[in-house]
Amino acid sequence: MPDNPRMTAPSPDAELMALIDRIGHRDEAALRQLYDRTSPKLMGLAMRVVRQREWAEDVLQEAFLTVWRVAGDYRSSLSPPLAWLGLIVRSRALDLLRRRTADRAQLTQEFDELMADQMESDAPNPVDTADASEQAWALHQCLAQLEGKQREVVSLAYLREMSHGELAEQLKLPLGTVKTWIRRGLEKLRVCMGRFA
Amino acid sequence: MKLTAHPELLELLAASHALGTLRGGARRRFEALAREQAPVRAAALVWQGRLASMTELQPSVVPDPAVWTRIRNMIDAEQAKAAIERQRDAANARDAARPQPGGWLRSLALWRGATAAGALATVLAVVVGLNLRDQLQNAPAVQYVAVLSDDQSAASMLVTFDPKKKQLSLQRVGSYSEGDDKSLQLWALAPGAAPRSLGVMDKAPGLRLAASESDVHAVPTLAVTLEAKGGVPAGSGPKGPVVFKGALIEKTI
Repeated sequence: MPDNPRMTAPSPDAELMALIDRIGHRDEAALRQLYDRTSPKLMGLAMRVVRQREWAEDVLQEAFLTVWRVAGDYRSSLSPPLAWLGLIVRSRALDLLRRRTADRAQLTQEFDELMADQMESDAPNPVDTADASEQAWALHQCLAQLEGKQREVVSLAYLREMSHGELAEQLKLPLGTVKTWIRRGLEKLRVCMGRFA
Repeated sequence: MKLTAHPELLELLAASHALGTLRGGARRRFEALAREQAPVRAAALVWQGRLASMTELQPSVVPDPAVWTRIRNMIDAEQAKAAIERQRDAANARDAARPQPGGWLRSLALWRGATAAGALATVLAVVVGLNLRDQLQNAPAVQYVAVLSDDQSAASMLVTFDPKKKQLSLQRVGSYSEGDDKSLQLWALAPGAAPRSLGVMDKAPGLRLAASESDVHAVPTLAVTLEAKGGVPAGSGPKGPVVFKGALIEKTI
């Protein structure tokens, strides 16, 4: 198993979990602390899914209102705290995208422009892994082994809930290529993640 | 097919399922297997957990400070609504036990009940308040804003407070007409205090009233009542019905 330098550092999960517990008891100050601590990261996630700053801010707002309402249920989810928050943001972001399907054309265009930049580069996105769970750290290591375009296609399939066909259309790639990249990407992830299990 | 006999295939299917690219019939067959066979279910859950961490691995972007203000305002409105509903329930229970004739306008619980009905109005106030941000920036000292709505939650009046000029501005935004023999009167509703008159409106589309910050500070709600022409005599409480009401929000943007 690869060395994880963060194993020895105190886990940030405990602090985030304590905040979520307090929010479950209607502690507004705890919500503010959680927001200060996690909003840039969650905003980044929302931006990645919905692409527009204004929409991403709406998503962030709805996500934190959801957190305020359902924080009491967090413990039963068995998720690392930041992953749980991330799933809420992704879910709200996908809701917003479904509501805005009418604006899809505009979205696709901006998306394509952005993709053109990202697909040229094999370098991983600059990612701040502070506060990320052990599991996210493992995924980060394994994604780093993928080629840039494979990583990008796998990430977008997940974050935006896109099918092979939708990815091919939006990325202007042959369907077979998308399928191959995803299959190879998942195969690499399978081998790599197995070492962290 | 005994999927558990092919561990690599099982993992790949579980990973595709979690990724979302396993679709249609293949997805339904995999999910049926997962319901029947615990090892398949376990693999599916493991990969859901692993890929969920993808949400943690995105570059950070700092949101606009207004986002937190909006969240806080919505939560405050939600909390206020819950408190109001509790009070109204308590008041209803009390009234049922001991009917109180008259003087209902002096009952703060009832006043608050009226605002409770307008949770939507509060949300509207936040939203409209933000949309008005650009316009309000031309009057940089505006510190409080309220959008008063009628019983249909339609925005009817915009109230802003400028602490530099010590001025309260009322602006009609609906088409309400009070009739020639009536006047609209604005009230501050603060917890534990009787409704306090802030001023009487004539038929003009807008009105500026002298007011100090203490008039609006710690006032969660404003209401407009329909009164006889010229308003009620100084010192007395409202006599007519509430026509508009809304939350007063301290602007932090």
